Amino acid sequence: MASQRIGGDTGLSESLPSTHHHAPTYGVFQGINTPQSTLMNEVGVFDFGELQEAIVLQGINTRNDEEAKASSLFITGRPAATLEMFPSWPIRFHQTSRGGCKSGGGGEESTDSGVNTNTLSSKLEPEPHHNHFESQDSPISSHHHQQEDQEEQPIAICDASRKGPSPQQKKKGASSTSEKPLDAKTLRRLAQNREAARKSRLRKKAYVQQLESSRLKLTQLEQDLQRARSQGMVLGCGGAGTNISSGGLQFDMEYGRWLEEEERHMGEVRRGIEAGLSDGELRVIVESYMRHYQELFRVKGEAAKWDVFHIINGTWTSPAERCFLWIGGFRPSEVIGMLIQHLEPLAEQQIMAMYSLRHSSQQAEEALSQGLHQLHHSLLHTISPATPTPVPGPPPLGLQHMLSAISKLANLEAFLRQADNLRQQSLEQLCRLLTIRQAARCFLVIGDYYARLRALSSLWASRPRESTMMMNDDNNSSSQTSTDLQMFQPCHQNHHFSNF
Amino acid sequence: MHYQTASWGSYVAASRSNAMVGVGGDPLERIERLASENAVVIFSISSCCMCHAIKRLFCGMGVNPAVHELDEDPSGKDLERALIRLLGTSSVVPVVFIGGKLVGTMDRVMACHINGTLVPLLKEAGALWL
Repeated sequence: MASQRIGGDTGLSESLPSTHHHAPTYGVFQGINTPQSTLMNEVGVFDFGELQEAIVLQGINTRNDEEAKASSLFITGRPAATLEMFPSWPIRFHQTSRGGCKSGGGGEESTDSGVNTNTLSSKLEPEPHHNHFESQDSPISSHHHQQEDQEEQPIAICDASRKGPSPQQKKKGASSTSEKPLDAKTLRRLAQNREAARKSRLRKKAYVQQLESSRLKLTQLEQDLQRARSQGMVLGCGGAGTNISSGGLQFDMEYGRWLEEEERHMGEVRRGIEAGLSDGELRVIVESYMRHYQELFRVKGEAAKWDVFHIINGTWTSPAERCFLWIGGFRPSEVIGMLIQHLEPLAEQQIMAMYSLRHSSQQAEEALSQGLHQLHHSLLHTISPATPTPVPGPPPLGLQHMLSAISKLANLEAFLRQADNLRQQSLEQLCRLLTIRQAARCFLVIGDYYARLRALSSLWASRPRESTMMMNDDNNSSSQTSTDLQMFQPCHQNHHFSNF
Repeated sequence: MHYQTASWGSYVAASRSNAMVGVGGDPLERIERLASENAVVIFSISSCCMCHAIKRLFCGMGVNPAVHELDEDPSGKDLERALIRLLGTSSVVPVVFIGGKLVGTMDRVMACHINGTLVPLLKEAGALWL
């Protein structure tokens, strides 16, 4: 085997598995120091660290298993995890010829993949591989690069069949066959390289797995959405309105249209303020925005006749909005409180008026909440009569009770209407209290706030969850993956919020 | 018999006074008479939750309204019909009179409160002293 080696470099004649005891230290140093070494083997190994260790630090068994695995994989093919990343990796081994000729065509296929095929034939001609490495995934290539230089040597291969030479061939580090003894510094450096290579491999694996799972999730979600949409359309169009859910769906569609209108109004107001329009023009914009809100309240009222629960429960809102919902919408006092902070500078008189508006709104909200509470109590009382029944089991509710309960539920619509009325009155009063420019900013602040809540909802729903399965893969790499995952999250959030 | 009290007892006193007045008389006149007896008069129905809400609104502001429960009044139905004619809507309770003048139902009262006209009205009628 050794005789077949080209370039007579490392003299690593045996293939990996049998070289555990072997100590071909030769090429290693050259690999580090002479990047332009001619001995470029087209090594498609990906576990350089392990190989290197096996070869260089003979007898160090820290990663023996891994090495054995790697070596066997090396022989038999690539591990599945990285297959998808580099689909261009051809399997170029012939298991039979261990040390025999391995077609080294990996270089030409993997034009952009740093880790080439596992052909281990030493290269015939010197080809600089540096550039090729740079083109690969950056976190990986740099480490692999160094690793490869050392890895190649030990890998015994057939040299003769080295074809090609594409400039993408990995540079096989110094496969000079000088057999220098390893010194401590080199050992340390090698160990560090190994570590770095391993870490970057693990990171890559984690990232790939995350991408894959996200992709699956995305396709699933899309299918669900399509299914739901098709069902929804059927219900919306086919239902004669007697179906309660169809009314809710119809409202959802109208709300969707309202949201688009909202964006348009926001854009108008923003441009109006920035462009410094006159008060009269701004007033037109603000009034149309006001009518926009009134339209929403009107549509809600209509939909409540069909399905009051849908509106009051806030099924049509985003989850974050729904969490803080008050009788099917926003709480005017909260909005006013938020505006007081955002609208500075305000005249003294205006501040007083805003605080008093907030106070009145709070009183009205409290009154409505207590009325609703009373409704709840009387409903409970109606559907759970105090009289014990002689018959065991849940007592059937008498017709009278049922009718009474239903008529009580009808009051829900009235409360929703009063709550929306309160919201509308608050907005109108705001417009009266403030200058037209301040009122325009109010609408912007409110619109932005709810748009952010909606974005927050979708962000929350799509946040990458810590995947425990990834952590189980490599027990000693769990810290690595978790930090990587956290690394991805902030970027995602910044993107969403930078829109505002 | 009828006296203005700004205390909790006004509620009870008002309904007792209703019973004492008797069934006779034009309902509208009765309404007007009842409305002018106290600073704040609310016509309500005991089982209505919206009426409960409006009562809590006034009590929360420190006002003690005189409440007439139409379902506890013998001629409550007549009064209700008269109120419907007066207001023009079918959902007539709760309806509020301040200082003898009609303010309206819940949404009118809320609108007045939000636009800041309710409190001056109450002060003017002597129901609020702050």
